[in-house]
Amino acid sequence: MKLVILQMSNILLPALIGGGTALLLGIVIILVFRFFSVKEDPLVNELTEVLPGVNCGGCGYSGCLAYASALASGEDSNTSKCTAGGLETAEAVAMTIGTAPQEYIPQVAHVFCQGSGEYTGKRYEYTGTPNCASSTGLFAGPNSCTYGCLGFGDCYDVCEFDAIWIDDGLAHVNHENCTACGKCVAACPKNLISLIPKHELATVNSCANHWPAAATRKNCKIGCISCRQCIKVCPVDAIHMDENLAVINQEICIHCGECVKVCPTHSISQGLLVGKEAEKAGRAAAKAEEEAAKAEVRAEKEAS
Amino acid sequence: MQEMFKILFSVILIDNLVLSRFLGVCSFLGLTKDLKNSMGMSIAVVFVMLLSTAVTYPIYAYLLDPYGLGYLQTVVFILVIAATVQVLEAIIRKAMPPLYQAMGIFLPLITTNCAILGVMLINIQESYSFVNAIMSSLGAGLGYTLAMFLFAGVREKLETSDIPDSLKGLPSTLIAASILSVSFMGFSGVIENLFG
Repeated sequence: MKLVILQMSNILLPALIGGGTALLLGIVIILVFRFFSVKEDPLVNELTEVLPGVNCGGCGYSGCLAYASALASGEDSNTSKCTAGGLETAEAVAMTIGTAPQEYIPQVAHVFCQGSGEYTGKRYEYTGTPNCASSTGLFAGPNSCTYGCLGFGDCYDVCEFDAIWIDDGLAHVNHENCTACGKCVAACPKNLISLIPKHELATVNSCANHWPAAATRKNCKIGCISCRQCIKVCPVDAIHMDENLAVINQEICIHCGECVKVCPTHSISQGLLVGKEAEKAGRAAAKAEEEAAKAEVRAEKEAS
Repeated sequence: MQEMFKILFSVILIDNLVLSRFLGVCSFLGLTKDLKNSMGMSIAVVFVMLLSTAVTYPIYAYLLDPYGLGYLQTVVFILVIAATVQVLEAIIRKAMPPLYQAMGIFLPLITTNCAILGVMLINIQESYSFVNAIMSSLGAGLGYTLAMFLFAGVREKLETSDIPDSLKGLPSTLIAASILSVSFMGFSGVIENLFG
């Protein structure tokens, strides 16, 4: 009998100590959680559900939770800040809070440069770290036009929505995927990317070169040479000169396309890009149109 | 007094938690991409190490060892560490929200981190007194911090380097970590000769 009890105590004691510790800790946890509980606002959870949850920072907050908290606490009354979610999210957020939806103007990013390898050259061979920020530090970059896109893809690296592609040393924005979160705007060391209102026929002067005509023409075949033809034909006076560079005011522009027709270097372009294939097809179509127009003129001359 | 500092410095430099003892390597590799994450995790590790030692050492000394139940240390320590971390998280969340923002999310991550349990068991194994055990844990936490910061810097440089495709990502990271670990071997013998 004694032996059995002794042997039992060999198992009983550790079991008691182990189990007792666990039980004690469990009680401590329950008590602490009761006294130290934090009241969570259910509205924050609801809003977090509605927001896309990408944490891109387009709204200006550090993440979707931060924006949801600001909205729930009343700190921020603007319900249309989410650029990634678009109109749908803005309406859903307004509905969750219980206010009327505010006006939402969709925007997209645009690269204000068309200087691919086809139109520009290189001043020196760059063999350093292959990113835009580094190469621009070396005498403003290897391109013949020092304002232009370097094509190493700092913008491509930061885009979370697969909305940028690099082709022949030039960055392009896929306006279908772009959510205007603003990361590429901040990433470009040459400040070539800006946000423009998302209109199907958005007309922009895709150049950032402030050099006078001769210097621009020498270094880039598609750059703006400040000939002012676009300003003369614009019916709403939406274009002004900014130190040898024509700038089209996107708020005033009515997308009539007159400036596109008269631009001698094709620096002004119209329409949003939707992917690499679409862009190539668009350029091919534009070239074909030009050829057809030239053939017509030639035919007319021969006839007369 | 001298022994306290000897233990502290030897644990930071020679017996570095991550680089010599290879404990806590998963969080080391996972969180050194971002310097901010590294900082948050390091603070959390130091906190939890000190607190866990303060709780587990008396439990071992007064509850397990006298009854010859040393073999229970693994189970009981894990229970205690998990509970301690939960309690700590609840308290910090309520009492110090800015601190919670900085390192709160790493606390549940640390609960099952082998580094914490490892250091507790090493303290028992080396038969440290309570003060020495605290010093050893503090040193382990600081050594972890040192390793994290050093490696975060190395990784930042790796980001912009031209690495062959087959070594991109984790392979190059592991190779860099092993070279860093070898460099820390150079410290062996320094502490003995400094502190006698």
